[in-house]
Amino acid sequence: MAGPKSSSKSSPTSSEISVAVSTLWKSYIDQTPDRLKFIDAFLAFIVLSGVLQFAYCVLVTNFPFNAFLAGFASSVGQFVLTASLRAQVNPENKSEFKEVSPERAFADFALGSIVLHFFVFNFLG
Amino acid sequence: MIWQFSWLLLAATVRAASLSLQSPRFTISASDATQLRSDTLSLTRKPEPLTLGATDILKLTFQITESDEGKGVQPHQTFLRFYDKESGEEGIQPVRVTPGGKAKFELNMMRPPASIPPTTHNPLEVSLILGSFVHAPAQYDLFDLYIPASQTPAEHPDEASFRVLPAIKHTFRPEQKSPPQFISAVFAAAVLSPWLVLIGLWSKVGVKVPNLFSLSIMPFTALLGAFEVLLVWYWVDLKLGQVLLYGGILAIPTVFAGKQALYATGEWRAGRK
Repeated sequence: MAGPKSSSKSSPTSSEISVAVSTLWKSYIDQTPDRLKFIDAFLAFIVLSGVLQFAYCVLVTNFPFNAFLAGFASSVGQFVLTASLRAQVNPENKSEFKEVSPERAFADFALGSIVLHFFVFNFLG
Repeated sequence: MIWQFSWLLLAATVRAASLSLQSPRFTISASDATQLRSDTLSLTRKPEPLTLGATDILKLTFQITESDEGKGVQPHQTFLRFYDKESGEEGIQPVRVTPGGKAKFELNMMRPPASIPPTTHNPLEVSLILGSFVHAPAQYDLFDLYIPASQTPAEHPDEASFRVLPAIKHTFRPEQKSPPQFISAVFAAAVLSPWLVLIGLWSKVGVKVPNLFSLSIMPFTALLGAFEVLLVWYWVDLKLGQVLLYGGILAIPTVFAGKQALYATGEWRAGRK
């Protein structure tokens, strides 16, 4: 994840920015374990579906408001749970979570997800 | 016993002496003391109804005597009763009687007593009621009386709290409508489209799950799936209590399966390292 920082000049030109971004992307692709990419793909999916639901609510209607709340809350909640799972299973964070094994993290994730889904279905109406 | 009975007999003989009314007379005069109407009252036949103006004064004089000896007596209770047959309202006005039995009653319409009932179209029937411990009671219907229309009654201070309030009309927002089906369908497709992104990304990342169908992992995955099925079932049909019951039952094997599966995973991880 840790890409090289872009230059700290006051006004970077657009080419500099694009170089920085491509470097960042390249190092992400090269250095991130597949398991974390797997989780990142899931995070991207959650963000996309949350944004689309919110756009529908803003642009068209919030009519079944409970359904919107359930859908959007499930996106947000699932994102939080998945992000914390990713943080805990990331090998680079091992020093931070010494006593939390990846298995323990996954058990927390599964339990949290079930509770979250219970509330989401409760709201769905 | 016999003594008491004889006392009762004695009381009955005393009561037999009854009261009678002598020379009852009424006078209606205006406020400047000019006499408008004056007549003696017959106890057998009512006179023409009396009519009082807003400032007139009605005077009523009579004497109460014992019917046997013609001696004036003071009954224990003397009342004039003003009764409205139509509304059923009545007013009782006590009359002061001298020890000699003479009585004078004055009704000044400038200051009418509070006991006079509110007026209707009917005249008030005025009667005299006499009560005594030693005489038989007596009631005389004297005359009918028209009095000026009474004022509307003063509003009670609490009246506002007990008045019938206007019916509450609820206004509701109009029922919300779903957008046109086309727009709904477009956005449904849009919201489902991230699944394609997810599947595409996952296939690109290409994580292998070689142990998914191993005997130690499979039960845990299946039980987690069962939880999700239970929640969908909850959405479709179940009640809250049932979900909690089934979920509680399902939780027990899931805990054991999860422990076993994650222990096995931990072993593989340690072995790989």
